Amino acid sequence: TRVRGSPGASASASRVLLRIAPACLQHGPASHPGIPRRAMTAHSFALPVIIFTTFWGLIGIAGPWFVPKGPNRGVIITMLVATAVCCYLFWLIAILAQLNPLFGPQLKNETIWYVRFLWE
Amino acid sequence: MGSMFRGEEVALVQLFLPTAAAYTCVSQLGELGLVEFRDLNASVSAFQRRFVADVRRCEELEKTFTFLQEEVRRAGLALPVPEGRLPAPPPRDLLRIQEETDRLAQELRDVRGNQQALQIQLHQLRLHLAVLGQGQGPPLATAQMDGPSERTPLLLSPGGPHKDLRVNFVAGAVERHKAAALERLLWRACRGFLIASFRETEQQLVDPVTGEPATWMAFLISYWGEQIGQKIRKITDCFHCHIFPFLEQEQARRAALQQLQQQSQELQEVLGETERFLSQVLGRVQQLLPPRQVQVRKMKAVYLALNQCSVSTTHKCLIAEVWCATRDLPALQEALRDSSSEEGVSAVAHRIPCRDMPPTLIRTNRFTASFQGIVDAYGVGRYQEVNPAPYTIITFPFLFAVMFGDVGHGLLMFLFALAMVLAEDRPAVKTAQNEIWRTFFGGRYLLLLMGLFSVYTGFIYNECFSRATTIFPSGWSVAAMANQSGWSDAFLAQHAVLTLDPSVNGVFLGPYPFGIDPVWSLAANHLSFLNSFKMKMSVILGVTHMTFGVVLGVFNHLHFGQRHRLLLETLPELTFLLGLFGYLVFLVVYKWLSVSAAGAASAPSILIHFINMFLFSRSPTNQPLFPGQEVVQSTLVVLALAMVPVLLLGTPLHLLRRQRRRRRRRHHSRRDPAGRQEEDEAGLLDSPEVSENGWGSDEEKAGCPEDEKEAKLVPSEVFMHQAIHTIEFCLGCISNTASYLRLWALSLAHAQLSEVLWAMVMRLGLGMGREVGVAAVALVPIFAAFAVMTVAILLVMEGLSAFLHALRLHWVEFQNKFYSGTGYKLSPFAFALEDE
Repeated sequence: TRVRGSPGASASASRVLLRIAPACLQHGPASHPGIPRRAMTAHSFALPVIIFTTFWGLIGIAGPWFVPKGPNRGVIITMLVATAVCCYLFWLIAILAQLNPLFGPQLKNETIWYVRFLWE
Repeated sequence: MGSMFRGEEVALVQLFLPTAAAYTCVSQLGELGLVEFRDLNASVSAFQRRFVADVRRCEELEKTFTFLQEEVRRAGLALPVPEGRLPAPPPRDLLRIQEETDRLAQELRDVRGNQQALQIQLHQLRLHLAVLGQGQGPPLATAQMDGPSERTPLLLSPGGPHKDLRVNFVAGAVERHKAAALERLLWRACRGFLIASFRETEQQLVDPVTGEPATWMAFLISYWGEQIGQKIRKITDCFHCHIFPFLEQEQARRAALQQLQQQSQELQEVLGETERFLSQVLGRVQQLLPPRQVQVRKMKAVYLALNQCSVSTTHKCLIAEVWCATRDLPALQEALRDSSSEEGVSAVAHRIPCRDMPPTLIRTNRFTASFQGIVDAYGVGRYQEVNPAPYTIITFPFLFAVMFGDVGHGLLMFLFALAMVLAEDRPAVKTAQNEIWRTFFGGRYLLLLMGLFSVYTGFIYNECFSRATTIFPSGWSVAAMANQSGWSDAFLAQHAVLTLDPSVNGVFLGPYPFGIDPVWSLAANHLSFLNSFKMKMSVILGVTHMTFGVVLGVFNHLHFGQRHRLLLETLPELTFLLGLFGYLVFLVVYKWLSVSAAGAASAPSILIHFINMFLFSRSPTNQPLFPGQEVVQSTLVVLALAMVPVLLLGTPLHLLRRQRRRRRRRHHSRRDPAGRQEEDEAGLLDSPEVSENGWGSDEEKAGCPEDEKEAKLVPSEVFMHQAIHTIEFCLGCISNTASYLRLWALSLAHAQLSEVLWAMVMRLGLGMGREVGVAAVALVPIFAAFAVMTVAILLVMEGLSAFLHALRLHWVEFQNKFYSGTGYKLSPFAFALEDE
């Protein structure tokens, strides 16, 4: 359990830590060329869709042509197609649900404080 | 498609087995395991069948075998497993086997009897030795001198003065627990007239009957008087004591002792010899018994199968009716040819048309067997009905994984299953007897796929032991929100929780490319987002699964030649399902794509729209999602409701119309026999369905001659059946769609349990202690507790729960769209099964 002291205390504590934090965190992401930055990149929507559609499409549509002839050919083709459909659909639902969020995450102030600098 | 798509074609075959070759033919069929015998003598009791005498002889032999097996087990030896091919012996060998076995059993009984007798004798000798060995000592001396002492009886004995009184002795041995009672009784009965001394034997003697060591008490009674002697003897008889002659002279006693010792030694040698012979006999039994057991069991099975055949009127051959897969017919004919040619006769097999429903045969390998097993547990499919198993191979682990999604737990399950799969050929694993282990082992491929899919859904849910991972950077920028909203440190200090607003520029940078964004695992309102996401996901998956089920029904209709059902049932069903719930899915996806954060305050509510759709009303505050939405919705509802009477009345009316048309044709053909023959035949071949459940395939293909009976449709039955089907489908659509929400419910439960376990257990350990060593030491028991609870609660309990619910979704929601499951399996007559 983290005991919350007086509001002023945490503010001063954060100021103290701010002073001893490495320089890149104080000045922004692109200041030090040698240290890798963990920037918030904009995620495109088109690229993952193309990649995953191609990937599961290869497995589900192209894969069946390469299954060797044998007694289990039908079963293996069914398995490939079903896997592709299920996994693609599940991934698609997940990404579509996050495409246009109507509300954002509600974070604790401590989380905001450290994520603000950690994920930048 | 492979043979798992639907059951194989099974034909009814009639076999003509000449009497001379019947046994060998059936024995060969048993070895191959291709056919299932139909019982043609069902009305005959078991005692009146033809081969009952042979069956009885086999059973008597088996009784002897059991006796021999008991003896071997009693001696502590094990019977080796029979190896090699052991065909059923020809009937003439039965007599020889019987003689052999009886001789062996008799020998064994004799030797055992001898051994018992010798052991009893030895026991007696040893007792005698013990008694004599302890018969020395004071009591004798005192007895000699004690004549005129206080022990003089009150009654004067008629036998003269005391000095001449003869003292007699009784020596014997009695069991320990009876000694006190004996002593008391002796004292009460013959008070004053005897002196009894009891002494325990030094060693324990093994009782020959029970085989347990027992202690005996040796006693020596000195008494005088004949009547006392008789009383004493009666008493000792009563107590089952062993009495031995007691010689008064010391010398004589010592001589007797020596003689006894010599006898005992000789007896022990003889006993040793006997036991050696016994072990020889047992060795022979060990060698002989296992193969004979297998052979006689096969023989009995063959006779039981022969009992099911009917005898032809000329008594020259047996007629058997068997179910055989069409693919195996050549093998069947070859087997009959080979085994009957040895006798010089020929057995014939030919196919006959059948009116009953044949059994279902689906060949599986060890991978597909477990999936076919869970389908068959609900019900074996009707003959040549579409088999849900090949799709279940993937959809079952997938739906399980949706409810179980966690990378860590999935990985543990996968590794456990992988270990079982890699070790599956080891004999120790195969012969394990523990039932729970065998259950898990039988489902190892199932567990393997379940674990694999759980890892995938775990990555999508972004949960690994309830912790999120940032494989890609998050799509939400806290810094942008903080900077744009002026979240200074003071501001942060005053507000405990703050919400990120996606409509602010730069806060939301795009959807996370693979799965759920990791920022949600840090959020206090993550359940609001996840609940909405998972509920919509459940409905989408559910509608897809059910539509797939309805589409599979199409294959059934095509195969059984019931094309009218495509138009009168499948089409209305699809329209109803997709018009209502497909539209719901469309609304969900449309809202995801079109409504953005800018319009979040006035975002339309799908729930309200859906309710208003059925009530034909509108809510003024709820914006439409797309222009013309009301018109579209009304049209869809009207269309769906219009499909209900089509579903209810379509098929029955069509069937009745067809029946009426056929009757008219037949009526005409009777008046005009020459002209209408072809039409009549066409009508005969095209026999209609008796009822919904009447399976059509074999009637169509085998061309049953009598269509007078089959064509009898009872209108009320047909309508009733169709009404039930309609109600089931329409109401089921709604309830089944809601039932898929268990996917949401269970995944939520799993996620919450997992998080609670982490927060209450591991976080304590990881957040403990500033000093270096404290956390390390405390973490060991804490991790142990975490691991045990993870396995017990999250893997076993949640795993079983998700397994059960995924199974229910398949059995009820998916299979009731197309599967009837009212068939029976082909259980071939095979020896391999009986060996187990």
